[in-house]
Amino acid sequence: MSGSLQNWEVSVFYVMFGAYLGSSVLYWLWEAIKKDAFRQLATLAAIVGLTANTTAIALRWIISQRPPLTSGYEFILVFCWGIVINYMFVKFRYKLNALGSFVIPVPVLLLGFIIMAMGPSERVASAIQPALKSQWLTIHVFTAILAYGAFAVSFGLSIMYILKTLSNQSTDKNTKENWINRFPHESVLDELAYKMVGFAFPMLTLCIITGAIWANYAWGTYWSWDPKETWSLITWIIYAAYLHARLMYGWKGRRAAWMAILGFAIVLFTFFGVNYLLPGLHSYA
Amino acid sequence: MSNKSDELGEKLLEIFCSMKLGLVLLGIIALVSGIGTLIPQQSMDPNGAQAVAEIWRNLGFTSVYSSPWFHLLLGLLCINLLVCSVQRFKRFYKLTFAPEPPKESSNIPKKINAVISGSDGEALRQKTQESLKKKGFRITQLEKEGKWNFIAQKHGMGNWGPFTIHIAFVILVLGALTGSLSGFSGYIMADAGREVSIRDISIEKGQVKENFMLKINSVEDRILPNGERDNWYTNLSIIESGEEVQRDTISVNHPLTYKGMTFYQTSYVPGAEFTVDMMGKKFPVTLQSRGGNYFNAPGTNLYLVLAEIKGDPQKPVIFYQVFDESSQVKMGQLTPGQSENIQDTYTVTFDKTIGFTGLQVKSDPGVGVVWLGCGLLMIGLILAFYWRPVRISGSLDLTEPILTLGAYSGKYNMGIKKEFDKVVDELKA
Repeated sequence: MSGSLQNWEVSVFYVMFGAYLGSSVLYWLWEAIKKDAFRQLATLAAIVGLTANTTAIALRWIISQRPPLTSGYEFILVFCWGIVINYMFVKFRYKLNALGSFVIPVPVLLLGFIIMAMGPSERVASAIQPALKSQWLTIHVFTAILAYGAFAVSFGLSIMYILKTLSNQSTDKNTKENWINRFPHESVLDELAYKMVGFAFPMLTLCIITGAIWANYAWGTYWSWDPKETWSLITWIIYAAYLHARLMYGWKGRRAAWMAILGFAIVLFTFFGVNYLLPGLHSYA
Repeated sequence: MSNKSDELGEKLLEIFCSMKLGLVLLGIIALVSGIGTLIPQQSMDPNGAQAVAEIWRNLGFTSVYSSPWFHLLLGLLCINLLVCSVQRFKRFYKLTFAPEPPKESSNIPKKINAVISGSDGEALRQKTQESLKKKGFRITQLEKEGKWNFIAQKHGMGNWGPFTIHIAFVILVLGALTGSLSGFSGYIMADAGREVSIRDISIEKGQVKENFMLKINSVEDRILPNGERDNWYTNLSIIESGEEVQRDTISVNHPLTYKGMTFYQTSYVPGAEFTVDMMGKKFPVTLQSRGGNYFNAPGTNLYLVLAEIKGDPQKPVIFYQVFDESSQVKMGQLTPGQSENIQDTYTVTFDKTIGFTGLQVKSDPGVGVVWLGCGLLMIGLILAFYWRPVRISGSLDLTEPILTLGAYSGKYNMGIKKEFDKVVDELKA
């Protein structure tokens, strides 16, 4: 039974990867060709990808009989889910289709990393150490994926903002209308990016706090300056600086967009860089 | 002289009030923290830290997070946050509890603005009041010279978000500081049946002030039927003046607290129990696997070490080594009940396998303060980001009657505009 479920899990993983990849390509084609059918297909592919993503998480949960939040592979699965669910919310709430071209490629790259760099032994459900058997872990990772997902969306919005302002500069020089002109007004992109950070920042804080509570139960220390903890604090500081600079110095627009891009680069480093370059207590995820 | 010192004081206050200083300090703290993850730290990798060039070691880069200059940076940030918060307290108080209606219609915000005309001034005033109250706004009003001016506010407590966040951060740092300056941490590695005085544990930091005994009743490495490890369990008793005052089973993630001291299950080491027969005198010896401890036979230079335990748990095989000061003098393997003569000095018999429990013992008086800081931080963030205040001010000329309305835009122009438009639509209907 477990064996056949594992086969299903592998199949669903590739359906998810294919759907997200297809969605990205279709979004780009829609940007280039302007045919609405591509946009609809891209959205459909993203929905198929999200369904497969949810199924993959559910199957792993059934196979391992615990929330699938304890290995690098499992975290990437839920990270992708967090990104796409945040994207779907913004897409349907604000009718922002073009965002898909910049956000959906992020899970494609993350899943591509699993395919390229993770061996079969790293992907299968395996036994977990006693320290990971805690309800705090579930809240810790759940808040992390919501925060990271929203940061990914703010990253996509910030890229759109920069492209839009660059395009505006060139249209001043009488360049023809291009696909970037169909993006919403830059002030809308800027404020939405801020809104996403405004949602994600308290989530990241809660993620760090629940991690500290859990560490205190497991190891008797709420903060040990482990590289993962330290880099999550650096991520927190970068976004705190983003919020302050925006509010106090009017760092809206392009400066804020670059800060959001830097913030997401640090989010990715906190996950990949720390796991693969810097050793520490978080070596499992 | 007095003027000069006043000027200096004002200048210092100005610097500490500046958000720029806070941002610069945050940036430096982030940078230094990042450097600390790239350079081996004394607390995590002592050998790696020793290999770092002396100049960096002397500058504290191999113990960044406990270095005085890192504490100084945190201290400066706390002072900055405190000064900023105290200075802005009055403004937040006024904004929340005593907002002032605009004195002139020219003071009404213009970015998000609307003008509504009606046929009856009094009716328009009543409609405006009812509509705003229905939407949860609190109205502060002023009437003079035929004009009704007001300010209406919703989610007023949201004004306290930034203040709460900054104070929470200071509390958090103070809690961490309390923990690092007082309290203690220690470690126990013991097998079942062992009684240890709390004053005899290996101390890593601080001093033990209490005096009681700790008895390890049982140690278990519980494996589930599917072969996965469930958890490590230690049943322990606290004994005061010969009386058992508390008994509990702890496991990873489920510690026990007694008199401000918390016992955490952190590790488990398999081991074995032996009987040593030395000149007709028999006594038990317990050894940890992989050379965690040793047995030095009294009056000899022989050290018995348990190298490894292999085989089925029902039929274990242990591998032992015997050393003198300079080299290995004997090695071999034993199954339960088997004996071996060690250099004609004593006989060792392998009785059974046992478990050693590794317990971290901690007392951190600052931890409650840290959780208070964390709680306030979350409350502050919820107030600042999910409970944003909406303020609308207006002026109604009761004689004309024309109502000018404007909303104060802050962080979210779009959201405020939406809320404002709803109010305006209702008033126009």
